[in-house]
Amino acid sequence: MGVQMVQLEHVTKEFDETNVVNDINLDIRAGEFLTLLGPSGCGKTTTLRMIAGFEKPTSGKILLNGKQVDDMEPYKREVNTVFQSYSLFPHMNVYDNVAFGLKMKKVSKDEIRERVTKALKLVQLKEYGNRKPKQLSGGQQQRIAIARAIVNNPKVLLLDEPLGALDLKLRKQMQLELKHLQQTLDITFIYVTHDQEEALTMSDRIVVMNKGKIEQIGLPREIYEKPVTRFVADFIGQTNIIEGKVTAINDDTATMEFSGQAIEIPNSQDIALNEEAFISVRPEKMKAGTVPFEGTINLKGTFKERIYVGSVTKIVVTMPNGEELTIHESHDNIEELTNTNDVYVSWNPKNTVVLKK
Amino acid sequence: MRKSFKKAYLLLSPSLFWLTLFLVIPVIFIAIVSFTTNGDFGAIIYEFSTKAYTSAFSSLYAKVIWQSVWWAFVATVVCLVIAYPFAYFIANAGKWKNILLLLVMVPFWTNLLIRLYAWIILLNNQGVINNFLLDLGFIEEPLQLMYSPGGVILGLVYGFLPFMILPIYSSIEQLDKTYLDAAEDLGAGPVRTFLNVTLPLTFPGILAGFIITFVPAISVFVVTDLFTGGKLLMVGNVIRDAFLVEMNWQLGAALSLLLMILVLLSLMIFMRFTNRKDRKLLV
Repeated sequence: MGVQMVQLEHVTKEFDETNVVNDINLDIRAGEFLTLLGPSGCGKTTTLRMIAGFEKPTSGKILLNGKQVDDMEPYKREVNTVFQSYSLFPHMNVYDNVAFGLKMKKVSKDEIRERVTKALKLVQLKEYGNRKPKQLSGGQQQRIAIARAIVNNPKVLLLDEPLGALDLKLRKQMQLELKHLQQTLDITFIYVTHDQEEALTMSDRIVVMNKGKIEQIGLPREIYEKPVTRFVADFIGQTNIIEGKVTAINDDTATMEFSGQAIEIPNSQDIALNEEAFISVRPEKMKAGTVPFEGTINLKGTFKERIYVGSVTKIVVTMPNGEELTIHESHDNIEELTNTNDVYVSWNPKNTVVLKK
Repeated sequence: MRKSFKKAYLLLSPSLFWLTLFLVIPVIFIAIVSFTTNGDFGAIIYEFSTKAYTSAFSSLYAKVIWQSVWWAFVATVVCLVIAYPFAYFIANAGKWKNILLLLVMVPFWTNLLIRLYAWIILLNNQGVINNFLLDLGFIEEPLQLMYSPGGVILGLVYGFLPFMILPIYSSIEQLDKTYLDAAEDLGAGPVRTFLNVTLPLTFPGILAGFIITFVPAISVFVVTDLFTGGKLLMVGNVIRDAFLVEMNWQLGAALSLLLMILVLLSLMIFMRFTNRKDRKLLV
């Protein structure tokens, strides 16, 4: 650990004069599972394709294991890709698909046999060597695509939304399998997805991207609990974003006015007196009740509706200014609320996250 | 199940009727005629005879048939060699793609006869090419560009090249480019990517092009007529002459039937080399 495996320095990619990737700096450590997360069109796939070599950066440098590679052809790079659509060669059987990379490297027949068998065993499809890709289910094709990539012992494995086409249950299972595989092989994984839950489940670190820029880099827990920007807070999970004017700043705290009520927020360099500030509070960190709670922040509003979603019950409360806050309550601590009630939404100040604008 | 099966036949019945009326019945008629006796001035006497087949298999006609197969085959191979890079280029030509495709198809809108006459102006002993080479002093006397098997093959290649380009183009165009990314990702350079992935995956297009070029090329007669003045013959020429000049319907019918069998045989060989999916490109 600690060795830089992939380094992106001021990497920019333009297509038709629009910056798809805009001045990105990123260091990826050897052996880590790093996820590029973002909505479609955020530049995550382009970033991955630049590391693979399918796209050349318009400007900036890409280093692979300390060596500059941005002009190197993809077939000379020691990285392999698992494609979104798997891209297994339809005219070859599973064995030949997995052996393809080794054949291109002129590895001896015996060694190919040994390594292909080992790779197929690793993805639990040892018996399927003679099948054609079409004869396999989506999940099986997915595993073959992984076997075809890892059989080459790449320094870095690039995965481009590899689970996107699978159904939910299989996807969850494959997420864990991929994570375990990565730990077993000790290869650097760079994983692209738009699914935030997938990213949180699998990654050592997450890079949240938006509009060609990196919004935040951090551990899954940091990304979820301490989002830096409004985009990250909004994109990862559900949240309440509260916007208000800063009316006072003290040493450690500040006061913000929202819907005619004062909220105490942590002081931060992202706020200034008499200017708008944004805070994020996760719905599961909030409570709703008919009386204010002691020692917490309380906002008074009116009850709007209650939605049962299985794991939790969502309670929607309307603030005096018309904005709505959503609270997730576990079923056993719900108070009976009706729309005649005043409802107090409260949360512990330590769960307030101040966002950059 | 059974009911929908019947329904399918009902829906098919117009085309089945059409095929029966205009394909099956005429072919049966030709088969019958080929076994009748030849009367004066092309009269058909309905008495069993195998005389037509005896002459059809005589060395003269056998030679013409063999010649046709060979020239058509060579022309088809030449078409393939020209068409593949051409189709590959068009498929990767970006915004020029449609214009290039149009240029391939424009000649179709002009009659083959007229287009071949244009070639005569070029290829003649006093034609543009010969005069040009003579003037530059590259040759002492005119090259025999026409009146030769080479000329016939040139005419066939010219006439049928689009038939080869279009199916190959379509197979290259439909090729999922991520397969090429995948090959490159796995360490295959451009040449090996082409040989290991592009070529096998576009093989159905090659086969389709091969058949739809070879089949009409084998029976065409205008090329030999115009380029050799009837000095060299293909099977199409002798069939036409049997019907229209010699008034020997029996011989014409027998040769037609033999040609049909030959074409069917080559189609069967084609089927042998392809699987179900590849064949779909033909239709």
